Amino acid sequence: MAEYFTARGLPVPPELTRNPFSDWRRNATVLVTLAVLIVGFKIVDIDVSRANPEYMWQVLVQLVHFDWSVMTPQNEFETFWDTAGGLMIVTIFLGIMGTAFAAVIAIPLSFLGARNIMAGGPVAQAVYVVVRLVFTVIRSIDVLIVVLIVLTLFGLGNASGVFAIAFHNVGVMGKLYSEAIEGVDAGPAEAMTATGANRFQVVWAAILPQLVNPFISFTIYRLDTNVRLANVVGLVGGGGIGVALFQNIQLLRYSTAGTFILLIVVTVAAMDFISAQIRKRLV
Amino acid sequence: MAALVSIKDLVKTYPTGTRALDGISLDFHKGEFIVLIGLSGSGKSTLLRCINRLVDPTSGTVTFDGMDVTRAKGMELRRIRRRIGMIFQQFNLVKRSSVFTNVLAGRLGYRTTWRTIVGRPSRDDVALAFENLGRVGIVEKAFGRADALSGGQQQRVGIARALMQRPELMLADEPVASLDPATSHSVMKYLEEINKKDGITVVCSLHFLSLARRYGTRVIALNAGKVAFDGKPADIDDRRFREIYGEDAVEVEIGLGQTEPVPAEAGDSVDAPALDPRIPPDR
Repeated sequence: MAEYFTARGLPVPPELTRNPFSDWRRNATVLVTLAVLIVGFKIVDIDVSRANPEYMWQVLVQLVHFDWSVMTPQNEFETFWDTAGGLMIVTIFLGIMGTAFAAVIAIPLSFLGARNIMAGGPVAQAVYVVVRLVFTVIRSIDVLIVVLIVLTLFGLGNASGVFAIAFHNVGVMGKLYSEAIEGVDAGPAEAMTATGANRFQVVWAAILPQLVNPFISFTIYRLDTNVRLANVVGLVGGGGIGVALFQNIQLLRYSTAGTFILLIVVTVAAMDFISAQIRKRLV
Repeated sequence: MAALVSIKDLVKTYPTGTRALDGISLDFHKGEFIVLIGLSGSGKSTLLRCINRLVDPTSGTVTFDGMDVTRAKGMELRRIRRRIGMIFQQFNLVKRSSVFTNVLAGRLGYRTTWRTIVGRPSRDDVALAFENLGRVGIVEKAFGRADALSGGQQQRVGIARALMQRPELMLADEPVASLDPATSHSVMKYLEEINKKDGITVVCSLHFLSLARRYGTRVIALNAGKVAFDGKPADIDDRRFREIYGEDAVEVEIGLGQTEPVPAEAGDSVDAPALDPRIPPDR
């Protein structure tokens, strides 16, 4: 390739003469990656010597040996809400309520966390930085950790689960909404400013119409994720079907646990499918 | 006759250090069709935006109908803006909203914030919206989405929106730069019509000198933020052209039966192409 340049008396671009195997950046990348993996093996100390495949196989067989009795009330003290179906419905609503609370807080905050809205002056920009930082910090705390902390306030049960999901999602949804706001077409806002509209009218007439669909789309996406989370928060005491699943596993009732897991898988898959279908139509 | 717009020693330096306008003084009179020409980056857009203060000038003054635009604030500025219509290269419509909603937005400057949120458009505004949509020939598309229209139709919606303000001045920032030659002429003819029939003063930036000659009553050329030419379209000869666009520039023609076919709608009432005979069209 260098002949093209030498034949014409042009300087040969350095990119053509560089040997990829002597490029120090390339070699350094390979070395660092290998070093991380080797150190990782040492530190993590992966011990598979005590593996018990027979026991696991027994449990797996029991798990798929579904116990359908949990689908109906088992004694005069139990109602529909104590059955697997009832608990599943409660769990779905844990996710819905958590999403709703988060949306109510995240939507107004997201405007303060959007660079294009907060472009006017140093104070606005400081607010933008703080709000985005808050979103990032909140987002970085996993839901399960949040549940453990919220438990100290509300105790075991649904309240802890709902508020933990809501808290975590203020961070996640705030970021999604803010980015949607930053992605709007600024042209209509300019045009409406030119007609003599005030700042609020510009946001109302030029920005909000562009946000309705992305906001609905992101909310449904998070709703689907949050119903999945609602199954897990129960494992640490956040209420819903997760509590029953955890108890049954502790009591080694794997057939019952299997039924719960099946129900969760079906529900989550259905939510996933429905949410994808709705979002496809919203674009 | 007092000038409608009077610009004195206008300077705009952007924070990046770019001096977009370098001491511009111009008077625009009622009824003129002024075409701004010049290379990209010569300051056309900035000059247009200083007239309605979408851009704040660094120094100098702009007066509109005797009022100081550069010093106006809040309500006073919005009162001035609503007398000045503006259309844009990218049309700046809210794409998801209906054509009708987009056109009604032209009335925002005449409505209170409260009415914008809770109020329905007044009977007069609705009637005016249909009248203006009728003028630009897209009444039957009124309730379709704005982005379902072709580029030329979207620009006509932009004109209808600006007409909602009942403006005395119309600013047009490269209104046909995204359109094909035939559509360009049809859009320019609407601007010509509002200039001639309604007596609205038009200030329009254009890339094609042939369009400038055909539609302008006065041509102002900018070069590096300074006025390089100000006079009758026919006075731009070969030498002037090179002064404005640089030594290597070659003029290209757009439409008007020379190279591209122009549909009857756009071309039939053009009596004689207002071309300078000294510049052969096919160079």
